[in-house]
Amino acid sequence: MGRLLPLAAAVLAAVVLGMLAAHLAGPRPDEPALPRGGDFTLTAADGPVALERLRGRVVLLYFGYGSCPDVCPTSLALTTAALKALEPAELERVQVLFISVDPGRDTPETLKQYAGYFHPNIAGVTGSPETIATVAARYGASYRMTPVDSAAGYVVDHSSVTSVIAPDGRLVEQLPHGTTPPEIVAAIRRWLPR
Amino acid sequence: MHKPLLSMMIVTAALTAAPTLWAAGAADAIHAMEPSVRMAPPGQDQTGAYVTLHNSDKRDHALVKAASPAARATELHTVVDEGGMKKMRPVPKIDIAAGGQTRLQPGGPHIMLIGLTQPLREGASVPITLTFEDGSSKKISAPVRAITAPGAMSHGH
Repeated sequence: MGRLLPLAAAVLAAVVLGMLAAHLAGPRPDEPALPRGGDFTLTAADGPVALERLRGRVVLLYFGYGSCPDVCPTSLALTTAALKALEPAELERVQVLFISVDPGRDTPETLKQYAGYFHPNIAGVTGSPETIATVAARYGASYRMTPVDSAAGYVVDHSSVTSVIAPDGRLVEQLPHGTTPPEIVAAIRRWLPR
Repeated sequence: MHKPLLSMMIVTAALTAAPTLWAAGAADAIHAMEPSVRMAPPGQDQTGAYVTLHNSDKRDHALVKAASPAARATELHTVVDEGGMKKMRPVPKIDIAAGGQTRLQPGGPHIMLIGLTQPLREGASVPITLTFEDGSSKKISAPVRAITAPGAMSHGH
């Protein structure tokens, strides 16, 4: 019995530490429940991009469109500033996917130019309207093509949220529009394996 | 030769000259500060132009039109947030209150350059003519700036 006590104490300590670690690593309690996320395959100019193949990296997802002149560039500029603040070893394990919800105007080629302008770790991807709708629904992104009285023809109303996917493929955080570069860096580092 | 073009030029010239004939129009009371055009990412032919408009007059004024030879169409737009959805919409005017200022900036009211006639170069200047509610107008020259996030622009100042 006397020998078992230290063992029991050690087990208890391990359980408490484990719970503490899970608490620290998990979503903060004030955050709303996250959409379920999940794997997908979309198309980039250089070939298909499967989330499954990006295990081991922190993946940031942003749904937008190329001819979005105001909201998307702001979001991508914030993300770019965060990427530039990372150490090279960290950057190797971070991938940003800019998912175009406007396949009528954006092709994988134009998206490659568009995303690459911001940062080499940002890839522009798209897919069929059905695939995009499925992926957007899984990640809680909403968008709607809206005709407007403008030479632009139509605009795309869309949510402006950056999803953070952990190296094991789980959707773990969603960063609201306007999240600052230091906050984006902190979110990436929370999930990068040490 | 091109008769419609010629008459258009005459009309344009008349419209441009007219405000200078009127005393103390809105254009005289409104000061345009820190104009800029956001670089368009490669392959994209539309972008935003931004400026802070200060109204030194005792009366309210409004920007009702913007024009630029740099784009096929130049429009006034704003972005509204409805339930987390970002919605960009054309607007007929942008108000500038008496004694106040209105910032045209990303995520808010701005000028849209749609169908750029040629790719923008960073540092180049884009001429934009602003027309106010009384028909008076003001020409500004907006330098093309790299895409930065709002707030990040003030860095280093």
